[in-house]
Amino acid sequence: MAIQPFPRTGARPAPRVGPDRVLASRRRLLRRDSLLIASWVSVAIVIALFLADDVAAGFVSVGQTLTSLGIAAGLVGTDLLLVMLLLTARLPVIDRAYGHDRAVALHRKLGKPVLYLLLSHTGLLIAGYGMTEGINPVSEVLTLFLTVPDMPLAFMGLGLLLAVVVTSVVAVQRRFPYEAWLGIHLLAYLAVLAALPHQFSNGAVFAPGTWQRLYWLVFYLAVTGSILVFRIAVPLARSARYRLVVSGVRRAGTDAVTITMSGAGLESLSVHAGQFFQWRFLSADLWWHAHPFSLSAAPSAGVLEITVRGLGSGTRKLLTVRPGTKVVVEGPYGIFSKTVRTSERLVMVGAGIGVAPIRSLLEEADFAPGDATVILRAGRVEELYLLAEIDELCRSRGAYLYLETGPRPSDRAHWLPAASADRGFSLLSYAPALASSDAYVCGPVQWSAQVMAQARAAGVPAEAIHHERFSW
Amino acid sequence: MRARAVIIASAASAGIILLGWQAGTGADQVHVGAAAVVGSPSLPGGSGNTGSAGSSGSSGSSGNADDGGSGAPETAAPSAAPGPTTGSAASGQGVNAAVSGTFKGTSASTRYGAVQVQVTIAAGTIKDVTALQLTDRDQRSAQISNYAAPVLRSQVLAAQSAAVQSISGATATSEGYLTSLQAALDAAHFQTDQSFSLNSRG
Repeated sequence: MAIQPFPRTGARPAPRVGPDRVLASRRRLLRRDSLLIASWVSVAIVIALFLADDVAAGFVSVGQTLTSLGIAAGLVGTDLLLVMLLLTARLPVIDRAYGHDRAVALHRKLGKPVLYLLLSHTGLLIAGYGMTEGINPVSEVLTLFLTVPDMPLAFMGLGLLLAVVVTSVVAVQRRFPYEAWLGIHLLAYLAVLAALPHQFSNGAVFAPGTWQRLYWLVFYLAVTGSILVFRIAVPLARSARYRLVVSGVRRAGTDAVTITMSGAGLESLSVHAGQFFQWRFLSADLWWHAHPFSLSAAPSAGVLEITVRGLGSGTRKLLTVRPGTKVVVEGPYGIFSKTVRTSERLVMVGAGIGVAPIRSLLEEADFAPGDATVILRAGRVEELYLLAEIDELCRSRGAYLYLETGPRPSDRAHWLPAASADRGFSLLSYAPALASSDAYVCGPVQWSAQVMAQARAAGVPAEAIHHERFSW
Repeated sequence: MRARAVIIASAASAGIILLGWQAGTGADQVHVGAAAVVGSPSLPGGSGNTGSAGSSGSSGSSGNADDGGSGAPETAAPSAAPGPTTGSAASGQGVNAAVSGTFKGTSASTRYGAVQVQVTIAAGTIKDVTALQLTDRDQRSAQISNYAAPVLRSQVLAAQSAAVQSISGATATSEGYLTSLQAALDAAHFQTDQSFSLNSRG
């Protein structure tokens, strides 16, 4: 498409946005809405099927009412738990609509409500059963535990789930090692499995010949299938097919290297600059953990490139990876790429090693000279990773490049260093045409939030702000 | 976009839940008729048409049970006082020989619903046990009841007492059934050889 360069004045009318981009953006929003509606409707169906079965007998006494509420809480909790599992099952449709980050954020948001629902399921049923049978809650727990089939497993499942949610909250706050968090998190699958038998043997959920049975059977199978296919089969198949091997390692600044990998027939892989993979390097000391890294160069000619900074103990070991090492990947994931663009203009803001996906975007994105602005932020000049390469790309593509280094303001939260923040600079100072641009932001969570808030304030629509967090 | 999605989602959800409610209350009316069938004494035990979702009127025996854990699964049902419905109890000379008639047991509350049976005795022999009400908390409980009741009935007829094995997988129903049956037998002053022991926790 023919694009004319615009002078950098905010006064010009908004550039013509390609109709295909508007359509794509609208389609993505529609997909998002459909997924949101689908998840609400799934909860509604669960409640409706329960009411259809139970409303007659369910609310005739206090005990029965508690029992009914308990069953409903369990059903809704389980439904949302399955939604949570779907959100992290790497389903392509979810990844394309929300992007991996946002899907994980939603997953995290649901964690506590689901736990509370399942805890109240347990509490309400103990109270309700106890009242109906005329025994106290403690005896009821013992009765359930000792005489009702599959209940010990169900209690174990609840315990595991409690452990998963609590450690997730703690781990995110205290920055546990990723592997420790992941190990505990995998227990969630065990928790779901442990809770399954009591739903068969005691619940009405799987009563033969009911709509509930059909619904839950389909939902459970769909979730299990998605996990097996998209988290296990597809990554294994891809890794086997492309047989990635480290082909080069070069320094990219203090404590950072750029790793180049090549593979057979990579051209057929649908991947865009800015997307990320989970990388697993098969060397003696690295094979047991996978790390998420964004591509730092546009994928081309059978080569994928990432830039890694030695932040943690695991990533520091990555700095020593040798050419010839085999690589297993999951991905590509994420929508921090050209696929979500809505306008002709680009503003790309990166902090620390977050400049890596910015570099690949800059390389791949279509824009006319003058229509792109790159802002790099670092504590010190040495921490401006990939600076020489980004500088070179900006020169050849005609993008504006701003470097902002120095300590944060001590008195307030601001994404700029103190010197620039104190002079009253904002995102708009660097990109006057911000309102009619797409903003791509990659950096630490708090920092990104401040950049995005300024973009919102400057009038950038929410669907034109794209964000990737580089911490897990 | 998002606001619109939330509105559509809420509207759709509300509609679906209302539909479910409608189906549930509609089904209740159908099941009241079914409950009448359950109550008919001519019902041969285990014909399979017992125990559909309860009419709200006949299962109202719970809610009085917050007595801090007496541990007894048997709660007195206000609506179903034990006593001979028809026929006459023994006046005292023989052991069971003179016992004849139909006797209703108390309604026993279980976590899956109330259970009440009625026993028919002729000349000292248990001739039939009819389920007046079975666990019907939901379709699953109703299914379990439909499966367990005939088995329990034939066991009771064979053993001529309430001291029989509870059905595995239907412990709550079994306990309720046998408790109600024992109450009916007590009301009939029907004595069994074995001392009655409620088959515990299987």
